[in-house]
Amino acid sequence: MSDDKLLVVRDLTTTFATAGGDLPAVAGVSFDLARNETLGIVGESGSGKTVLSRTIMGLQPRVNTTVTGSSIIDGFEVVGASENEKRTIWGTEVAMVFQDPMTSLNPVMRIGKQIDEALRVRLGMNRKDAKARAIELLELVGIPSPVQRYNAYPGQLSGGMRQRVVIAIALACSPKLLMADEPTTGLDVTIQAQILNLLDELKERLKTSVILVTHDLGVVATRTSRILVMYAGRIVETGTTRDVFYHHRMPYTRALLESSPKVANKSHTRLVTIPGRPPNLLSLSDGCSFAPRCKYATDQCHLVRPELQPSVEPGHTFACWNPLPINAEATLP
Amino acid sequence: MLRYLTKRLMLLVGIVFVISVGSFYLIHLLPGNPATVILGFGATPEAKAILYKQLGLSKPIYLQYFVWLGNILHGNLGVSFISQTTVSSVIRSALPIDGEIIILSQIMAFAAAIPTAMRSARKPDGIIDRVLGATSFTLLSIPPYILIVVLVLFISIKLGVSGTGPSAYVSLGTDWITNLESLSLPAFTLATVSFVVYYRILRSDLIATLQEEFITMARSKGISQRRIMWCHAFRPSSVALLGAASVNIGSLLAAGFVVQYLLQIPGLGYTLILAINESDFLVVQGIVLTVSVLVVAINFFFDFVINMVDPRISRE
Repeated sequence: MSDDKLLVVRDLTTTFATAGGDLPAVAGVSFDLARNETLGIVGESGSGKTVLSRTIMGLQPRVNTTVTGSSIIDGFEVVGASENEKRTIWGTEVAMVFQDPMTSLNPVMRIGKQIDEALRVRLGMNRKDAKARAIELLELVGIPSPVQRYNAYPGQLSGGMRQRVVIAIALACSPKLLMADEPTTGLDVTIQAQILNLLDELKERLKTSVILVTHDLGVVATRTSRILVMYAGRIVETGTTRDVFYHHRMPYTRALLESSPKVANKSHTRLVTIPGRPPNLLSLSDGCSFAPRCKYATDQCHLVRPELQPSVEPGHTFACWNPLPINAEATLP
Repeated sequence: MLRYLTKRLMLLVGIVFVISVGSFYLIHLLPGNPATVILGFGATPEAKAILYKQLGLSKPIYLQYFVWLGNILHGNLGVSFISQTTVSSVIRSALPIDGEIIILSQIMAFAAAIPTAMRSARKPDGIIDRVLGATSFTLLSIPPYILIVVLVLFISIKLGVSGTGPSAYVSLGTDWITNLESLSLPAFTLATVSFVVYYRILRSDLIATLQEEFITMARSKGISQRRIMWCHAFRPSSVALLGAASVNIGSLLAAGFVVQYLLQIPGLGYTLILAINESDFLVVQGIVLTVSVLVVAINFFFDFVINMVDPRISRE
């Protein structure tokens, strides 16, 4: 493994055993992440973003879940590792900022204790040092009067403040890789920007690699260097942020971009939506998962699944039998 | 928190008032003259006259209540006409035995229920969970008054373990080891009743809590499974458990009465049943009042503990 790669994911597959049969939530995902890089994973609800981000760090549910392939974080193979083995990298190598700060903090534990815990258990700090460090972390994530807040319960803080606490916990043991799973979905728009700017700033300051998972393309546009577009558990297009926004070839990427509201639109403009719903993962066809909703779909699309193929730009790949023409347009956000 | 507890306390004062009216009226519900009821049929006219004066029996009934309440508040529950000792001294010697049995049984029940519930919740529907579930259901279907008889027959009589059978009670002050021996079967019997309830409630709450996002979050910190269970899952899952314990205490006292009677342990229950049989009404009244106030106080105590455990409750 070359030294500039922090994370190498190869053919990662996560299957849930459900009453209705095996559900492939993530199917054959491969990508690399360089040190200090910020990668965006985008896709609509149910596309497998969250499951992918959890599987990468081995945090998938412990029952009825099968993972195959490989996910190597800084030389540690996560797939197949036991819970006890994975614990050695959780917190210190890789940490996660969870989606909903209302449910991801323990409601009956003071927030200071929740930050302390990682420091004391994982880094072996004593009570006093851990407390001092926890207060430092609270300050780092921009919580006013951190000494008083140290003793607060999560219920006494606003959503934005709670998400800052979640970030402080994730950063407590200085992980090399930070997984941010829709870190702003549960928050007001103004708070969203604050939290995202905070993540950006901390990433620069602490030299952490970040994987930013979101359904909101506006979030990833200015903050990531590369983007993976996911649909039905697979990567359907990947490239630099610029390529994905301006030179996308996959109709799904186009549809996703078109369905973001734009400031330039006049009032009362009807929001463009993608017709239909994401496919039922229990009964996928052999063809392209997006074909039933795609206006360019042909018979081939319904019968044979397209593999990722390179586009003209380096590192830009897409999975489509009828790709959009090269350099289709450059008017999107 | 303080406001919440004040509110609860006011409610409890109301409940205690209702209980006191009830116990006061107990005497008047019985057929015959209260003086005869209290002093028994063999009482002399002089004794009756003194009691009439003391209780103000010629006054209207609501005034009698206040006279009675005044006496109670001064610790004067009257005198047993059988043993001629004060009711308060009867209660003072019997109550610690109930306290001891209940505390012992609760220690046993929690010590058994918490680890087993955690074990079950770790793998719901796993083999261990199924075995524990079946065992708890079996225990649930055995009433305490049957269980104590079976235990006495088997352990005290068949196996001949000394100090565990009927009439074997030795007070804590005399010899604490023999005392524990004599109370072990009653405490164990009560513990099984509580264990089933605690195990089942905690198990299902733990299973629900372990699905929560903050548990995944705790996992992602890289802390041990044991720590996740004890430090993250247990506390938020224990509110219903404490609520059940609080309610359970009342029925435990009742179950304890039966067990005490069967083993002739001179606790409140045994004393109460004897007093009822001997028509020693002031003792009955005193015990009923004490037990009611005790149950109310225990409930308040648990309210307080639940509040400490989950600060969200008092915040509404």
